[in-house]
Amino acid sequence: MKLNSNLVLCVDDEVVGLQVRKILLERAGYRVLTASDGPSGLEIFSSEPVEAVVLDYSMPGMHGGEVAVRMRQSKPQVPILLLSAYMGLSPEVTSVVDLYMTKGEGAPVLLEKLGSLLQPVNASQE
Amino acid sequence: MHPKSKGKVTGREAVNLKQFNSVLRQVFLLPVAALLVVAGALYLQIRNANATVDLIQDSDARISQATLVSKLIVDEESGLRGYETTGDGQFLQPFTEAESHVQKEIQNLDALAGADADMRHDLTDLHDSHLTWHDGFALPVIAQVRGGGKTDDVALNLHGKVLMDAVRHDLNDIISKAENNRTRRITQWHQQVHMMLLVLLFLALGMGILIGLFTRNRLHTVSAAYRMSLEILGRRAEELFQSGQQLRTTLDSIGDGVITCDAAGRIQMMNPVARELTGWSQSEAAGQLLEKVFHIVNEANRETVETPVSKVKRLDRIVGMANHTVLVRKDGTELNIADSGAPIRDKNGEIVGVVLVFRDITIERKTQDALIANEKLAVAGRLAATIAHEIHNPLDSVSNLLYLMRNGATPEESRQFMDMAEQELARVTQISRAMLGLYRESKAPVVIDLKETLQEILLLMERRFIELNVSVSTDMPQSVCVAAFPAELRQVFTNLLANAAEAASPGGQVTVSIQPQAAGAPQAASTEATGQKMQAGATVTIADNGPGISAEVQSHLFQPFFTTKGERGTGLGLWVSRGIINKHGGTISLKSDTARGAHGTVVSVFLATNPTINTGRDQVTVLP
Repeated sequence: MKLNSNLVLCVDDEVVGLQVRKILLERAGYRVLTASDGPSGLEIFSSEPVEAVVLDYSMPGMHGGEVAVRMRQSKPQVPILLLSAYMGLSPEVTSVVDLYMTKGEGAPVLLEKLGSLLQPVNASQE
Repeated sequence: MHPKSKGKVTGREAVNLKQFNSVLRQVFLLPVAALLVVAGALYLQIRNANATVDLIQDSDARISQATLVSKLIVDEESGLRGYETTGDGQFLQPFTEAESHVQKEIQNLDALAGADADMRHDLTDLHDSHLTWHDGFALPVIAQVRGGGKTDDVALNLHGKVLMDAVRHDLNDIISKAENNRTRRITQWHQQVHMMLLVLLFLALGMGILIGLFTRNRLHTVSAAYRMSLEILGRRAEELFQSGQQLRTTLDSIGDGVITCDAAGRIQMMNPVARELTGWSQSEAAGQLLEKVFHIVNEANRETVETPVSKVKRLDRIVGMANHTVLVRKDGTELNIADSGAPIRDKNGEIVGVVLVFRDITIERKTQDALIANEKLAVAGRLAATIAHEIHNPLDSVSNLLYLMRNGATPEESRQFMDMAEQELARVTQISRAMLGLYRESKAPVVIDLKETLQEILLLMERRFIELNVSVSTDMPQSVCVAAFPAELRQVFTNLLANAAEAASPGGQVTVSIQPQAAGAPQAASTEATGQKMQAGATVTIADNGPGISAEVQSHLFQPFFTTKGERGTGLGLWVSRGIINKHGGTISLKSDTARGAHGTVVSVFLATNPTINTGRDQVTVLP
C-alpha cells in the first residue's frame, strides 16, 4: 500500500461523482486532491506535486481536452487519465492524454488503468 | 399589336362614317346641281328661240300688212280704170273706198315693230310714189272723166302705168325684204334649235361624264376605306388568333392545372394538367358544372369544400391557395391539392367567368411531413449527447459506490453510500422520463403543467447550458395547465431554449418565465402577437441577452430552410415550432434588439388553456 500513496488530482464538475471517486481512490491508497472545474484544477496542478491526473471531459467553461493541453505544457511527464460520459471523443483530444475511459466502466477498470499509468513512475523511483 | 401599326391604322380608318356620309351627300347633290345647270342653259336657249319666233311673227305681220296695202292699191287702180273706161261713178266706188284706207294702212305698216331704216325708207318711197300716182295721175284722170274729157290718151295712161309701176316696185321691195327677213329668221331659228340640241347634247354628255367621274372618285374612296376596314378586320382576326394561340400554348405548357368557367360555373376549358389531375377529358367536362368535375373535400372532416369559383363569385375578388383540400378524381382516387381562383371581368367590371388554378401537392405534403418528422428527430438527436452524459455520470457514481460497499465498508458508511446511490439513481430516472417525454406521442391533447414540462426540459438541457457557459434563471410562480400535445410542445421549447442558449453563449443569461392570463385580459406579449382579445391561457417567454437578430434576418426566421447556424442547423426549427403552436391554436412571436445596451431576443409563446386544436395535420404553410 505504501507504494501506492501517489498524489492524484481529480477534476470533475459532478459533485457526487467527484466525492465518490475521491473516497474510492483513497481506499485504494492514493492521496487525492479535488477540483470542480478546469481553472482551479490547473492551479492545484501547478502548485502541488501531482503525480497523476484523473480528468473529466465535460465541464463548464473549460473542457477536459483544453485542461489536458495546458497541463502537458507545464508538466508533460505527469500522466493524465481522461474520463468521459460521451462514447466517442475526437482524436485531437484523445491524442493529448495517456489513457481515456468512459464513465460507468466500473471502479476496477479505473483503478487498473490508473495503476498502469503510475507503474513506470514508481519503477523509476525505485 | 404593335403601337406603331395601330396609330397608322386609326389614321387611315378615319375615312369611315363621317366621310362616308359626306360622300353620299356629294353623290346626291352633284347630279342635282348639274341638272340645274343644264336646265338653265336650256332655258336661255329656248328664250332665244322664242325671241326669234316673235321676230318671224313680226315679219309675217309686215308681209300681210304689205299685201293688204298692195290689194288696196290694186283696188284703187282697178276702180280708176273702170271709171276711166265707163265714166260711170259706180266704178269709182272701189277707188274711193280703197283711197280712204290706203293711207291709214300704210301708216299701220309703218307702225309695225321691227322696222329698220331701210324699211322706213322703202315705206316713205311707197308713200311718196303712191301719193305721186294718186295726186299726179288718179285725181286728174277722175277730174277729166268727170269733166267729160277723154282719157284714152296713150301717153297719159303710160304715165299712169309708170307711176303705178313705181308704187308696185316699192311694194314688192317691202314684201320681198320682209320675206327675206322672215327666211333669215327662220334659218336663225333653225340654227338656234340646232344649237340648242347640240348644247343639250354636250351638256348632258359633259354632266354625265362629270357625275360619272365624280361618283367614281367618291366611291373609290369609300371602296378604299372598305378595303382598309376589311384589311384591319383581317389583321385583327389574325392577331386575335395569334394571341389566343399564345394563350393556349401558355396554358398547355404550365405545370399547374387551369380550368376556366363561365359566370354560371360551367366549365369552358381545361388545360392538359387539369385534365390529368381531375381525370376528365375536355369534351366530357365542357359545359359541366365545376362541382361535378372538380370535387374537393376537406382533408380532415371529408366535408365538401366550397369551390374557388363560387367563393370568387361570393367574395368578388381573387381567392388564394387553400390548404388541406383533397381532390376526388373521376376514378375515385384522391390528390392533395392547393387551389386559387380569380374572376374574369368584362369592360364594366362584371364577372363573366372564373379562372381556377390548382396543383398536386401530394408529394410536397409527404416531403413536408418527412421534414417535420426529421426535425423532431434532429431535436432529440441534438440532445442525445447531453442525455448520455446525464445518465452516465450518476451511473458511474452508483457503480463506484457499489464497489466501495462490496469491498469492506462499515455499516455507517454503507448507509451513507446507499443514500448517495439512491439519489443518483433518482436522477437517472428523472432524466430518462424527461427524455421519453420528448418522444411519447398522444393521439389527443392532454392536460399538462407548463411549469413541470419546462423544468423537465431544463433538466435535460442542463449539461448543454453548462457547456455553453450560459446561466439560466426562471420565473415560474405557479403551475399552469393547458391542453396540448406534450411531445410537440417539448420539441418547441427545446428548440427555443437551445436557440436562446446558443445566442447567449458564452457567459450570457437565459430567462424563462410563465405568465398566466385570464380570459379577455390584455396581456402585453400576447396581444401584441395577435392584436386581438385573448382567451384564457399562458404566455411562456424565453429571453436571452445575446447579440440580437437584425431586422433583415428576423423577416426570414420562420421560413423553412433558413438558418444562421450553417452546417449545424436544419433551418426547420422555428418553422416547425410555429406550425406546432398554430396547431395548438396559439401564437408565437419574436422581438429582438441589437442595440448596444439592450441587446437580446425575446420569444413569446401563447397557449390557451382550452384551445381549439387544429386537427389533422400540422398547420404549416405550404413549402415555397
